[in-house]
Amino acid sequence: MNASANTLSWDPYRTDLAQDPYPTYRRLREEAPLYYNEEHDFYALTRYADVEHGLRDKENMSSHYGDILEFIKARSRMPDAVFIHQDPPVHSAYRSLMQRIITPKRMLGIEQEIRKLCARSLDPLVGKDYFDMIGNLGAEVPMRAISMLLGIPEQDQVAIRESVDARIRTEAGKPIDIEHNQKLQAEALSGFDEYISWREKNPSDDMMTELLNAEFKDPGGNMRKLTRDEIVAIVNVVAGAGNETTNRLIGWMGKTLAEHPDQRRQIVENPGLIPQAIEELLRFEPPGPFMARYVMNDIEYYGRKIPKGSALLLMVACANRDDRRFVNGDSFDINREQRPHMTFGNGIHVCIGAPLARLEGRVVMEEVLKRFPEWEVDYDNAVLSSTSTVRGWDSLPVWVGAKPKNARAPAPKPAAEPAPAAAAGPVELEGTWNVVVKGPTGPQPAVLTLQKNGGGYSGEQTGMGSTSPIADFKRDGNQISWINHTTKPMKLKVEFKGEISGNVISGKAKAGFMGSYPFTATKA
Amino acid sequence: MPKVTFIEHNGKEHVVEAQVGKSIMQTALDHKVPGILGDCGGECSCGTCHCYVVDPQWQRKLPPIGENEEVMLEGTLHTEANSRLGCQLKVTPEFDGLVLRLPHSQVL
Repeated sequence: MNASANTLSWDPYRTDLAQDPYPTYRRLREEAPLYYNEEHDFYALTRYADVEHGLRDKENMSSHYGDILEFIKARSRMPDAVFIHQDPPVHSAYRSLMQRIITPKRMLGIEQEIRKLCARSLDPLVGKDYFDMIGNLGAEVPMRAISMLLGIPEQDQVAIRESVDARIRTEAGKPIDIEHNQKLQAEALSGFDEYISWREKNPSDDMMTELLNAEFKDPGGNMRKLTRDEIVAIVNVVAGAGNETTNRLIGWMGKTLAEHPDQRRQIVENPGLIPQAIEELLRFEPPGPFMARYVMNDIEYYGRKIPKGSALLLMVACANRDDRRFVNGDSFDINREQRPHMTFGNGIHVCIGAPLARLEGRVVMEEVLKRFPEWEVDYDNAVLSSTSTVRGWDSLPVWVGAKPKNARAPAPKPAAEPAPAAAAGPVELEGTWNVVVKGPTGPQPAVLTLQKNGGGYSGEQTGMGSTSPIADFKRDGNQISWINHTTKPMKLKVEFKGEISGNVISGKAKAGFMGSYPFTATKA
Repeated sequence: MPKVTFIEHNGKEHVVEAQVGKSIMQTALDHKVPGILGDCGGECSCGTCHCYVVDPQWQRKLPPIGENEEVMLEGTLHTEANSRLGCQLKVTPEFDGLVLRLPHSQVL
């Protein structure tokens, strides 16, 4: 593309725009209400009214290939029960079932528990002068809250994980028995099934029990219960959606309030403003900035055709700042006239967990401000990541109160340390690797630790707050592969296959039926 | 055009001219009545256009609660016997004089 400096060019992969995409968004709204990107071949709507119209347009907009640009370009298909990737009537069958189960009442019912989760994360930080809004809060509270709602209370999580882990642990240290290993893998894969069976015998008042018992009219019109595969798929969707986005919301809270200390003070003095502050925050920095659709028919916007078969990005983060809808859309103002935004989408696919996200946002803001009325962000050590699905902070360290003079980060993160120069020879596999999987809901960080074990390597991988041994680590020339059985937020077998170059392994991570996602592992 | 009154939880009244054929939810949004969110845009999928029908006579006059609305209302916050979802009420000329009260919040 021959883009001159003045040419309006935007795509979700441009890292130079991730920090502050909003000036570009303003230009897009003014100059290109319908934008076409030649390089990646997608269209985008940028104004509020058009994005809203697009999200509600069931006749022309399809979620058949998902709601993520890359998925649509790849024409990816998911099982029926992954209902966010379906159109009516398949979508309607599962969505209406889920609406009976994930109700606003049920979500609001766990407010006190969420408050306790906040206290658990925040109380140990009281008296400290530095902490990470993500590592110490955002990565913990939403994950625990969604597990709770799904019906995996902590004592049970531990009990179930231990029963599976115990079998794996007894094998550690012995030479790798491939046949046995495969058996263990199969067992771990079925671990989730096992958990569902256990829940069947030990019913509770949680979502899992309801998923097991609910009867619904399936897309074929038959009344029946969900199959195990369907339950696993649904739980994956719910857990995936409820985790990353709310984590990002908490990061944006930390950043935005720090940059608007006058409004933060106003909220501290009058916590009754918190619900509207959360709405303004959601409008101002949506964790999921875009929703993509497959265009089913030739349609026209602004005299220009969008051909059938195109991928269309509905730019919610851009539309949410449209001055046509919100006065001074680019300013953060908790006292502005309250009008709905589109951060949760609109139309049939609107976020079913919005009440939970709002609840968590409100309770987290209350509990943070109670303990820490003021903080400043340590931008030198903050890490922002942006994908075509999620934009937010991987790490947002803050100084409690004001930034100290001669400040230096009291707790440098391992990921921020410079990677050792590896040019002098093959990198030693033994040690710690920082793994990032670019999953459907954003980057998922994990830490892989490898030890020499006989002729091969063994080790463990920690991510999403849980640690599990890895299996089947292999090296063949530059090809590296291993298997990680995750236990949180659910049991899943993830197969990593990549190529090592210097101190970086990059390749694909295959997460069961959820599909394959790119990953990188960097030697720490 | 039929006149419909929305009463916010704080007592503030909004008398608006409703367009026949539009939903009560959309009518509130078009007139910027605070207290109605309508997140799902009228698909009976979010429960954020919840309102109370003030007069029992109106409860009988309005079209009955459908199956989807009933399911959604079961999970909606702070419902009462006179609760309705605004997106499921399509304005007709007979709606003239309808008075609806709004909950203190659609989300908490």
